[in-house]
Amino acid sequence: MTKFNILAIGLLVVLTTPLAAEELTALELVEKVYNRPDGEDMQSDLKMSLVNSRGDARVREIRQLSKDFGTDEKKIMFFQAPADVRNTSFMNWTYGEAGKSDDQWIFLPALKKVKRISSDSKGDYFMGSDFTYDDLGDRHPASDTHKVTGREEIDGEPCTIVESVSIEEDYIYSKTLSWIADEKWIVLKKEFYDEDDELLKILTVEEHSEIDGYWTVTHSEMQNLQRDHTTIMILENIKLDQGVPDNKFTERIMARGL
Amino acid sequence: MKRAIAILSTVLSIVAASTVFAQDPLYVGGYLRQETSVLLDGGEYALIRNTVDLNVEHSMSDFALRIDPYAYQLSGADLELGLRQAYLDFYWSNVDLRIGRQQIVWGKADGMFITDIVSPKDLGQFLLADFEEIRSGVDAVKLNYYRGNSTLEFVWLPTFTPTRMPEAGSLWELKPQFAIQPTFDMSSSEVEGSLENSELFGKVSLLSSLADLELMAGYAWDDDPALHTKAIVDPETMELASLTITPKHHRLTLAGGSFSTEVSGFVLRGEGAYYWNKVFSTENPALGDGTLEQDYVHYLLGLDRPLFGLNTSVQISQEVILEYDESLTRDSTREVMTLLLSDDFLGETLHLEFFSYLGLSDGDALLRPKISYDLSDGLEVTLGSDIFLGEEGMFGGFDSRDLVYAEVKYSF
Repeated sequence: MTKFNILAIGLLVVLTTPLAAEELTALELVEKVYNRPDGEDMQSDLKMSLVNSRGDARVREIRQLSKDFGTDEKKIMFFQAPADVRNTSFMNWTYGEAGKSDDQWIFLPALKKVKRISSDSKGDYFMGSDFTYDDLGDRHPASDTHKVTGREEIDGEPCTIVESVSIEEDYIYSKTLSWIADEKWIVLKKEFYDEDDELLKILTVEEHSEIDGYWTVTHSEMQNLQRDHTTIMILENIKLDQGVPDNKFTERIMARGL
Repeated sequence: MKRAIAILSTVLSIVAASTVFAQDPLYVGGYLRQETSVLLDGGEYALIRNTVDLNVEHSMSDFALRIDPYAYQLSGADLELGLRQAYLDFYWSNVDLRIGRQQIVWGKADGMFITDIVSPKDLGQFLLADFEEIRSGVDAVKLNYYRGNSTLEFVWLPTFTPTRMPEAGSLWELKPQFAIQPTFDMSSSEVEGSLENSELFGKVSLLSSLADLELMAGYAWDDDPALHTKAIVDPETMELASLTITPKHHRLTLAGGSFSTEVSGFVLRGEGAYYWNKVFSTENPALGDGTLEQDYVHYLLGLDRPLFGLNTSVQISQEVILEYDESLTRDSTREVMTLLLSDDFLGETLHLEFFSYLGLSDGDALLRPKISYDLSDGLEVTLGSDIFLGEEGMFGGFDSRDLVYAEVKYSF
């Protein structure tokens, strides 16, 4: 083997070996999370328990579908419990194009019509939970500036901690800290700081597993420290890449149900 | 009573049959509600009512059944039983067919009825009833064809259902004023059920990222009757000697549309319709039969957006009678504005809402503040008030009927 060949092989190895998480920039880490393969489509049942400071729980049950349409994503949710919100549905179209607002519609059985709602309420809490609409969506990496602040293990998983600050001045959080698991590119813990830079909420992932080849969070909890209130989210009956038809994300299905 | 028993037995038979034959589960939900309202002027009870409202559903992949029976028990009155909806759905790949009694809602306006005229209004409690109760179910065949995000919809109503007016002598009855006490001839007040007298509606709609659009047309009956008059004038005094009022429904042809889109965080909505040859009453009962046919336009613009943490919705509408005749009882134009402010607190268990109709032409208004609290999931208590302001107009006429109310509702 000539020196040239050794050099060439060495260069090839360097170029084809994935960068270790600690060598990635903060933006690259966040993009890894944003672009993590999670299936072309997903069906699941979401059970959301809202637990107050006395430990009393209120439970919301939701059947949800989502599907990727290129860089865009469509999602539809059907509320099944409690009884007073049964048959309400919510549809969200998210666009991969940076800066393009989501489109959102709601179907209220009492109104008997599908109504477009403003997507400018991403800071509102979802169904009385501790998750805002923004927390539940995939926030585009370009919406924030990012920096790595350290490394730490969560439940034995090595993670890189990334601090993200919104480029919007009036964003609901002054900053967030995300613990991103190496190689899985899942956020295992996230801290949310309010406008006064006080710790507001902590998201912890209690369970995650590989389903149909994709790392998927199945149990997470959001604790609002200032309200002393917790929301537990459990995903069940998860099915990925089942070929959900395009026509599930329409006015027809919102009004009719699945 | 026979009608009530018939409705009850029909519901029970269908439920029993579905339970026996259904492989998929039958869902039975609904609510129980108690309402008490008191007039601010005098302290009399305006309403004491208990309501049972059921939703019975059975769904399979290509078929569904829904029955919504209700019962009103009003203090001092007979039990009222009815079917809000009772229909069968059939699903194909691109087509849905719904047959039976159903509530059909069109348009983008809230609390205004412009293209939303397929299901007539139930004004038994004026405009104070819940959304679900303000529209009467109609017996109809509805066919929907879907292509992508667009829908073509046809509705055929074999029989005509008029607006349900407040009972005679009820709090919400508004008697028209006449120069002398008239005699009412009700012989033409009903539209005979026949194929020729059926109603047809069509709509094409699109839901897209850019905007949601609806275009509609209808060949219908005016839900509200025109008051035809026959006046006899005393030849000596030239004053009215007798007056006969004949309420009669007329054919109505209309076309319209609506849209909604998001602009800089605002949801902008619009709706409008053109009505051909709508029949209006004149001020002079001795002129012809006291009515005139006029073309008429009704349109609305609305904006929705969270503002300062409040969900805010504003609508403004205008009605215009074209080629206006000065003898008409109504003004040539009428403008009404609505304002809705709402917010939730305590993890969406405490709800505050303020809704109002503002009659810009007549200087009248209906203000509807209310506060609701969820004692637990499904159990809600509400306190509210309905305040009428002004001296004339749609709301001013009820100025002495301001009320406060309390409501307990248990959904199951």
